[in-house]
Amino acid sequence: MIDLSVQIGSLTLCNPVLVASGTFGYADEFESLIDFAALGGIITKTVTLEMRPGNPPPRVVETPAGMLNSIGLPNLGVAGFIAEKMPFLRTVSTKVIVNVAGKTEEEFAEVVARLEDVQGIDAYELNYSCPNVKEGGLSFSVNPAMAERVTVLVRRQTRKPVIAKLTPNVTSIGDIGRAVQNGGADAVSAINTLVGMAVDVRTRRPKIATITGGLSGPAIKPVALAKVYELCKAVSIPIIGIGGIMNADDALEFLMVGAKAVQVGTANFIDPAAAVKVVTGIRAFCEQQELQSITQVIGSIELSEDVWPDKGNMNNERATITCTNHGRSKGDGRQAAN
Amino acid sequence: MAPIRAVDKVAKNTYRIRLYAPGIAQNCYAGNFVNILVPRCSEILWRRPFSIHQSDSYQGTIDILFSAIGRGTKVLKDLRPGDMLDVLGPLGNRFSYPPGLKEAIIVAGGLGIAVFPFVLQSLKFLQGKRTLFYGAQTKDNFCGIDDLRDLATEMHLCTDDGSQGEKGLMTDVLEKYLSADSERDGRELYVCGPTPMMKRIQALALTYGFSAQVSVENKMACGFGACVGCPVTIAHPKPDGKKYWLACRDGPVFPLSEIVFDD
Repeated sequence: MIDLSVQIGSLTLCNPVLVASGTFGYADEFESLIDFAALGGIITKTVTLEMRPGNPPPRVVETPAGMLNSIGLPNLGVAGFIAEKMPFLRTVSTKVIVNVAGKTEEEFAEVVARLEDVQGIDAYELNYSCPNVKEGGLSFSVNPAMAERVTVLVRRQTRKPVIAKLTPNVTSIGDIGRAVQNGGADAVSAINTLVGMAVDVRTRRPKIATITGGLSGPAIKPVALAKVYELCKAVSIPIIGIGGIMNADDALEFLMVGAKAVQVGTANFIDPAAAVKVVTGIRAFCEQQELQSITQVIGSIELSEDVWPDKGNMNNERATITCTNHGRSKGDGRQAAN
Repeated sequence: MAPIRAVDKVAKNTYRIRLYAPGIAQNCYAGNFVNILVPRCSEILWRRPFSIHQSDSYQGTIDILFSAIGRGTKVLKDLRPGDMLDVLGPLGNRFSYPPGLKEAIIVAGGLGIAVFPFVLQSLKFLQGKRTLFYGAQTKDNFCGIDDLRDLATEMHLCTDDGSQGEKGLMTDVLEKYLSADSERDGRELYVCGPTPMMKRIQALALTYGFSAQVSVENKMACGFGACVGCPVTIAHPKPDGKKYWLACRDGPVFPLSEIVFDD
């Protein structure tokens, strides 16, 4: 039997696969579609102090190998969440991590304080990296001092594990990681969406009502892996990798780079069972590789000491290259290809 | 996975796919939709939503109807019987038939006809008139006219160029019909079509005092409420601050008077 369990602070996950906030609702949407017990845990859609209606349409647009969203954190507010969403979440047989956000530093702490005595919550994830809200949002996690203060204020309210979700929209994600580690975060999760934009050339209007949105999906996976790699060198607390994970191989890439767990996000929209299939695939990989524990995968990337190729050995002599689909090709493309 | 039974071209650039999906066929209602993964096309991320065009619970099949205009539908039109599709459904809510319904006035613009054969089929089990108004650009765009003639008790066709039925705007023809009879009890409008048409019918329903249900379409990433990406603006916002419904979960069928069409 392969041990897939991982430890995130004081939180033990039966396997390293979580579902990302904002892609899994409050789990009730998935009730008839998957077995929650197969997941390492569920991260809820963001909960704020007050009810939020969300952004006007259009909120989503498909882009090459990805999508942009600007949902705007619609939710019932913390009181509505406790009354209407927690009863179901208490019935799911996996870990429940509540994602919280606030318009101010104090509001983050207040939401956590209001949730602290509620049964059925295993940990918190702090969403100070949503690019799609007017107030708060990104500002908390592009500034290391602010990110640290939010973490400190939340830390005072709870002994449960606190995960800080980081944005890639910064110069140095390592600096932010170190700041939240200093503030008392038990783990970081990365990355949230990348700010992106798309234009409808016929109407000459942005394809998202708020002009820019957050890019997710397979398109961002290489960026996410590089950010996780950067965080590995910057912090000692566990890192949870997020970004374009569609299958087990994608998840394994993050684990090998050094993430202790992963979150499946956009893939849940396309296949409600995507995260369960990732777990199955990771188990199959471990079996095939005859591993006893997932810990043998985590951080197992093999890095050569000699990272940069010796430029002196590069051969600059090249054959003439022809592109056969050139619209105004000077020669005959087919002939050149022969 | 659902095997394709047939792919038929039914009108200009318009196709009908019949799928063997007994689990869906036996559980679906008129107004529901399915969300289909476009096969062999890795750069297309989302599923594509389609109204259930017709359902046969005995044969275990459902039909979808679409125009091949986008990347996804252009792939789907070239599929062949025996090809397999990953289908999620049935999704969404359904049309309702108020007790004492005497006449269903069905109004379809263009590909909006996609939802209505199933509605007409369901209505056959009820008493009453089934009046269909169906508008298209030209006669080449009409889909399944012969079947519709069997399902409806009365049919009004309308084309922009007059190539079949009346020439001009279908909403003008509809207005004449709605204003001709003062009886309102037991008469309900069922609407699906382009946004300008739905806006016009919203105004007509208000003017002439008709109750109306509309099926909307919207961009959506998931189809089952998880992405929260398909809001429909509520005309009279709720006291709790709620401003939007979701097309996928709360719809796609809404009371026409209760929603705002965004441009």
